[in-house]
Amino acid sequence: MSGADFDRWIGVSSPGSGAGLDWLETKREAARAKVRGQGIPTSKQEAWRYTSVKRLLEQGFVPADEAITALQPEDIEEVLIPGLASHRVVLVNGRYLPGLSQVGQLPPGVRIGGLQQILKSDPDALRDRVNGVAGEEQPLFAALNTAGLDDGLVVLLERGAALSQPVELIHLSVGMDEPRVAQPRHIVAIEDGAQATLIERYLSLGQSLYCTNSVLEVSLGRDAVLKHHRIQDESPNAFHITGLYIRLGQGSRYQGVNVGLGAAWARTDLQVRFAGEHAECDLQGLYMAGDQQLMDYHLDVDHRLPHCASRENFKGILYGKGRAVFDGRVYVAKDAQKTDAAMSNRNLVLSEGAEVDAKPQLEINADDVKCSHGTTVGQLEPEMLFYLRSRGIKAPLARRMLCLGFAGEILDVLESAPLREQVADQVGHRLEHAPLD
Amino acid sequence: MLSVKGLKANVGEKEILKGLDLEIGPGEVHAIMGPNGSGKSTFAHVLSGREGYEVTGGSVSFEGQDLLAMEPEERAHRGLFLAFQYPVELPGVNNTYFLKAALNSIRKSRGEPELDAVSFLRLMKEKLKVLHLDDSLLKRPVNFGFSGGEKKRNEIFQMALLEPKLAILDETDSGLDIDALRIVADGVNTLRSPERSVILVTHYQRLLDYIQPDYVHVLSGGRIIRSGGKDLALELEERGYGWITGEEVAA
Repeated sequence: MSGADFDRWIGVSSPGSGAGLDWLETKREAARAKVRGQGIPTSKQEAWRYTSVKRLLEQGFVPADEAITALQPEDIEEVLIPGLASHRVVLVNGRYLPGLSQVGQLPPGVRIGGLQQILKSDPDALRDRVNGVAGEEQPLFAALNTAGLDDGLVVLLERGAALSQPVELIHLSVGMDEPRVAQPRHIVAIEDGAQATLIERYLSLGQSLYCTNSVLEVSLGRDAVLKHHRIQDESPNAFHITGLYIRLGQGSRYQGVNVGLGAAWARTDLQVRFAGEHAECDLQGLYMAGDQQLMDYHLDVDHRLPHCASRENFKGILYGKGRAVFDGRVYVAKDAQKTDAAMSNRNLVLSEGAEVDAKPQLEINADDVKCSHGTTVGQLEPEMLFYLRSRGIKAPLARRMLCLGFAGEILDVLESAPLREQVADQVGHRLEHAPLD
Repeated sequence: MLSVKGLKANVGEKEILKGLDLEIGPGEVHAIMGPNGSGKSTFAHVLSGREGYEVTGGSVSFEGQDLLAMEPEERAHRGLFLAFQYPVELPGVNNTYFLKAALNSIRKSRGEPELDAVSFLRLMKEKLKVLHLDDSLLKRPVNFGFSGGEKKRNEIFQMALLEPKLAILDETDSGLDIDALRIVADGVNTLRSPERSVILVTHYQRLLDYIQPDYVHVLSGGRIIRSGGKDLALELEERGYGWITGEEVAA
């Protein structure tokens, strides 16, 4: 096999978006070259040791290049969360649909919109932001995303701006005759002292087969704050790939919750870079994998500067023949003194057929740091189960309660109560249908 | 209500209960006392259906039904309650949610409608008041980070809420200071009724100053070797277990 297998993703011509922007075409072309040069990931590459892309390639995905205009606001009502007030941006198969979105009133210094739209109206606002955090040296799927760069969400907060409501991105996938790949590129830039909350939700109408290959670039200025809640609840037949690139300025704070529930095959690459001291990055994650599901996480946290803190806390629930990979790397450079880093990955494996490969790595080159990591893979405690049953709670419900309790630590970080309840319901619903015995 | 005949049980290869007989009528409070290792806790666990114990002989019938054939949840549905010596911590499981799930599971098994959130809260408040407990325990995860006394109080609170027919208190008094002991005892006394029976498993006589038992049994070597009224407990307090267990050896 060769890189040519992704040729259909790249297409022969560029997407129409940003037509006439030389800088953008240059970035796309460089990314295309990168894709061709890289070839297909194999298990010999460390980043792909536990995960094969064979299943993904077999689907013969082609770019989702048609705009889905038939959807009416009432068609998406079922995916809205009652009680969640937000600046809502809806993307369908990777395309921003203003008719379904409800951005609402924005305070001064805040811009929220579609990438394509802003490339048209104010391309200079994006020129340095596209690949601004992800860089030019991108791994395969990010490079594919850049090569096909077409549309996505843009959130720009100028210095000191603040949003009182979260920005909610709903990425909805709709099945087509041919299996499609949507490659949204999201740009979130929070300048000095600005604050925002971003909720990303990846959902589908129906159970169709498709692929989402998204990239999000987050840049935080000095003392900026972003709370980011990402819920991946794709169709059970979907493929989901995401690259999250986060750059933290001095004194800034990023707090992320990454929930992975859906998709047959899901891959997440999280890259964190500190661009200033005294910044804090908190990455929380919850994933569930049942029959035919793979959840694959790769964290790359690079402490290059002193006095920064990072938390990586991921929990997984595996059942049936579910599989998960947690590959977390925290690097502390020689000069990054006073780094405070703690990585934890805990897994509940509820069946013999389920499997998890956990590989936390701490690479520390500084001598005055506080770093720790831990991994556990275990089952439900029989004493806990007995305690619940002795109170009249039947074994299946008792198991569900304990699993939800396990997940609760992560779900509790979700600030918005309606969102938290909705996600807890989804987790509970999956557990209800999981073969937990 | 409960009839235990010649009960024998092993933990692993070791025989712990060696033919235990006990009859408990409705409304009776029985104290089971005995030295460490006599099989007191094993007996409580076997009654509740905990795994890890193998019943090798005898029978236990609860209101005419074979208790040993039931799953732990079924025993609870029929009105059996064990207050744990070491209540289990359940991180992430909210105490109120847990109590509601337990109560509704039991109600459902009896064909009663489940309580909605409002009626449940009302009931909880009422029980808290009776037991003179505050509601801070309810917002936390079950037993998680609770002090020893809080854990025991939470057990008593569960008992009050679930209103069992037969409550077994497994060394609920151990490790409690006098105030906590009083709360536990008040809880049990409040629940005393002509239909409700209680088994107090305890090492010390102290608890019996607050809960007056109808009968006191001494368990030793996996069997009940002496039964009597509450005076027996006082005698044990004064003379230790040696004089009876010694008597047993001599006999």
